Amino acid sequence: MDCIEIQTRLEQYVDRELSSDEAAEVQAHLDACPPCLRIYQFEGSMRRLVRRACSESAPEALRARILGGLGPGL
Amino acid sequence: MNEGHGLSAYALQGDDGPVRSEPPAQATGFGEEQALEHIDALYRTALRLTRNPADAEDLVQETYLRAFRFRDRFATGSNLRAWLFKILTNTNISRFRHISRESGDASLDEMDESDLYARIADGGRGESAEDELLSAVLDVDVRQAIEDLPEPFRLAVVLSDVEGFTYKEIADMLDVPLGTVMSRLFRGRRILRKRLTDAARSAAA
Repeated sequence: MDCIEIQTRLEQYVDRELSSDEAAEVQAHLDACPPCLRIYQFEGSMRRLVRRACSESAPEALRARILGGLGPGL
Repeated sequence: MNEGHGLSAYALQGDDGPVRSEPPAQATGFGEEQALEHIDALYRTALRLTRNPADAEDLVQETYLRAFRFRDRFATGSNLRAWLFKILTNTNISRFRHISRESGDASLDEMDESDLYARIADGGRGESAEDELLSAVLDVDVRQAIEDLPEPFRLAVVLSDVEGFTYKEIADMLDVPLGTVMSRLFRGRRILRKRLTDAARSAAA
């Protein structure tokens, strides 16, 4: 696979959606290609940033209301 | 302590029912505590969908009401988290009408690959420089960037990047083909990448 092919599969690679053969090919390319590796690392940073920003907890009152609303008979 | 209301009856084969010759039906149902383990994930996804806390709470509450109303349709041992998220997204469509199923789809073939070429031609240097800047982007700006995405993209990105569902799980949840999920993710992330790198640059300026 050349760099373009790697790039078209990079997101699937990060998402663990490639077959093990394809994933191994991407991994081998990344090990040998600093530019693609930088782009891969950037993708990882993006995911971490998004996950960190979206880590809210539900309000306690909502939890209590749901439990209260599921009273006997439901 | 939240077990009750005869929930266990759903998970067990009735031993007082009529004797049947066919094999017993698969056990169904789940407990309240088990379902409420997913409330934080459902709530933060509802926040991204509705973009305000009051609507997000309503959406989550309605999701749980429906889930418990239809809990005998849930096969015990299958993926409760995915099932609850499917109810959440369906409830959002039917009740809150935030999502148009039609908009925003394109096949992977239609996607513009020019940015891929640009990134590679640049040797990933742009990414490397921006990588360090990304950490300066505030969570509130990240959330805003996500919430500005067109809804089908936003939902796909949240389900994959935040909640970690597989493409297949998302496709089943949204009743769309796998290719549609990939296209929404690819395009949503591309928009997000641009927004976040712009934010990183202006934070550094």
